[in-house]
Amino acid sequence: MKLEFIEICGFRGFRNHVRIEFGAGFTVIAGRNGVGKSTVFDAVEFAITGGIAKYSVEKAAKESLSDYLWWRGDGVPEAHFVALSFVDDEGVRFRIRRTRESGSDTSEQQIVSMLCVGTAPELALTQLCRTSIIRDEWIAALSLDLTETERFDLVRSSLGGQEGLDFSSRAQRIASSVGEAHSRSEAEYSSSRLALSREVAALSEAMDVASRAGDVSSAMRLIAEVAGEGDGGQVDIEMARAALVSRRAQISDFARAMALVQEASDLKKKISSFDEMRRRAEAEAMLVAAIGAMSSAERALEEAKGRYLVEEKANVQASSLAVLIDHGASLGLHDGACPLCAAPRSEDEFEDGIELARERLRKASDEVALARENLKQADEANKAAHREYARADEQWNEINELSSRFRTKEQESVDLLIRLNLDPALSDKPDALEGQFQIARELIIQLERAILTLEASLAVSRISELQARVEIARSALDLAAERLSRSQGALSKAREIERQAKRINGEIVDERLAAISPLLNELYQRLRPHADWRTIEYSIRGDVRRFLSLKVGEGLNPQFVFSSGQRRAAGLAFLLSVYIARSWARWKTLLLDDPVQHIDDFRALNLVEVLGALRLEGRQIVCAVEDTALADLMCRRLLSNTEQQGRRYDLDLGPDGATVVASTSDISPAPMGLLRVASDSQLSA
Amino acid sequence: MDIQTQVEITLREGGYETWLYRGLPHPVIGFEDPTVVGFVHIFPSEEALVENWRASQLSVLNRHAAALRAAGTKSWNVYSVFLAPGVRTSRQAARIEEDFTMTRKIARASIRTSEDVVRALLPLMAVRSKPRLLDADFEGRMKARLKDVSPATLNALFSDASPDDVALMLGEGA
Repeated sequence: MKLEFIEICGFRGFRNHVRIEFGAGFTVIAGRNGVGKSTVFDAVEFAITGGIAKYSVEKAAKESLSDYLWWRGDGVPEAHFVALSFVDDEGVRFRIRRTRESGSDTSEQQIVSMLCVGTAPELALTQLCRTSIIRDEWIAALSLDLTETERFDLVRSSLGGQEGLDFSSRAQRIASSVGEAHSRSEAEYSSSRLALSREVAALSEAMDVASRAGDVSSAMRLIAEVAGEGDGGQVDIEMARAALVSRRAQISDFARAMALVQEASDLKKKISSFDEMRRRAEAEAMLVAAIGAMSSAERALEEAKGRYLVEEKANVQASSLAVLIDHGASLGLHDGACPLCAAPRSEDEFEDGIELARERLRKASDEVALARENLKQADEANKAAHREYARADEQWNEINELSSRFRTKEQESVDLLIRLNLDPALSDKPDALEGQFQIARELIIQLERAILTLEASLAVSRISELQARVEIARSALDLAAERLSRSQGALSKAREIERQAKRINGEIVDERLAAISPLLNELYQRLRPHADWRTIEYSIRGDVRRFLSLKVGEGLNPQFVFSSGQRRAAGLAFLLSVYIARSWARWKTLLLDDPVQHIDDFRALNLVEVLGALRLEGRQIVCAVEDTALADLMCRRLLSNTEQQGRRYDLDLGPDGATVVASTSDISPAPMGLLRVASDSQLSA
Repeated sequence: MDIQTQVEITLREGGYETWLYRGLPHPVIGFEDPTVVGFVHIFPSEEALVENWRASQLSVLNRHAAALRAAGTKSWNVYSVFLAPGVRTSRQAARIEEDFTMTRKIARASIRTSEDVVRALLPLMAVRSKPRLLDADFEGRMKARLKDVSPATLNALFSDASPDDVALMLGEGA
């Protein structure tokens, strides 16, 4: 399958419709920088893949290639499309047309089926363009400057798809499925182990309980007696447990009653003691005496109050008289008569009378003071008698409070005993009550033992059931273990399948690389990047990640010892070997976009000779160059014959800045047999 | 090894017409194909090659000047190949190739075997190496190695059976 023609319109720098008819042998496209040579290659790639890989990572100012795919210059193109036509040796044509408006008229599958054969690699069309179109800017980047793993991947993909690669992903899915089944088996096994442990523990517990089984009939009787019988006249262990709980609550109340009775008894003993009785008698006597003393003191106080009132009253009168006497004394006799009583008195008599009156008043005043003192003393005595009474009364109350507490406790005891269905008389008999308590406790113990006995007898009957369950759990565990073992084996086999698939894939790639090694070396020798290092070798290493390294001389890495031009020449050898080795590419055209930059004339000539060698095999070559002399050389050196003619296009920019075809020329086949005839004729002459 | 004979064999296998030119004391083989013409000058030693290549070339070209002028564009593709037996090509001999006047030159003074002849004439030949990618037989190799997997499972492995079905077969110990 070769390129027949390409039509470009409104695509990148091609505003106007341009059609390039490719020579079946070769096509040399010449033109200075920027006239659109590379766009022809871009258009080929765009028609095939719908993109241009060389711009895939170039983005700037939020713009990408898609913003620049179509014409952006002055004027409006008549259309926006790229149409590419292929033709095979039988003349069968295949065309792809991509337009700006509706994309491709051909599906990717159709393109793959037409341009590829056999087992194509993943992203076949991308790989096809990547290995068919050798661009100046990618020569080093896609060869020597690749990492060793990228280089390995490039070569591996160029060797075509491998059945094993598809199988590897299938093996992975199988291993994943087996892994999931194995995880389920592990979970089942763990769960079965846990279940068995639980059953064994239950059995062990039941056997332990059973070993404690005693007289079942006595236990049943006791339970029937204490807890009653179930609906069917059967002893009900649950009823027994309920009765046990009830009895335990009851005995707790019983203990509280005992404490109350004991407390009342202790109080009673204390009240009845000799000392307490004596203290009571003393207190009573003291109270009676205090009451008597208080009555006497109150009476004495009343009397003292009376006397004092009398004296006080008399004293008030005496005070008035004293004023009157003092007034009379100050007045003196009036006309020989007392000014107070008008009785005729002499001066002496008047003086004596005044003095006598004053003496009487002084005497009356003394008696008031005496009465006041007596009242005070009586009041103090009364208060002392009251205090004494209060003390006696307090002591008496204290003694009475003990009796009151006793009565309260005694009543509480009686109430509780009645509530517990016990004889109230026991409130006075703590020892008898203690006896009753011990009987109740003993009953609880017996009931609990009876329940245990009954439980043990039930456990005996459960043992066989539990033993059966243990057996079932063991069987289930055996099954789970067997399944686990099987899934482990399956996982091991699945992983082995995966491992072997990877290993064989690696081996196949190694074999294929070994098969193309002579080709790489031949192309390297033809291009002769270095005068001394005439051969190049590759080595592969790594198991999971594969590395392909290139070596020249004594194991030197050409990436680091070659000059820029030499690296490009070695890179070309590598890329050309990859291009030739593709067994899956039905499209055989080699496209080179300005491959000779930075390469000296000698190595450019070597490259032209390599292209000439490829032409001898009938391969179609499309090469763009800037140098017209080099274009001339190619047109002369590459084989052009009547079946596979060469063609040259010279591109330029038109007045509107769009690419135009400046000239086209077919390369005529050269004449044959000229020199031999000349040699023969010269010699015969 | 006779270099002269081997040169003719190699060139003819490469699609060239060859003939012996007898105008010089040492053998000269003329060759031509639809694109290229040229002469292989065979010297007895490297010293003779280094000393005489220029004169030998000039002599042959002069003899064919008229024909070359008539050959049109083909006259640009004239090769002069200088060969001599020896162990290695000296830098002096190798530098002859960098002389671009008149013809494209190939100079080798290390011709011992027929392979050396082929290697010297490589720029004139089609690509020789044809990678032969053998049938990988992935399935056969896998089946040969997976001896612990039953034939039934192996067949399922390479059939349309789903991965889950194959996993089931592996789990059943098949």
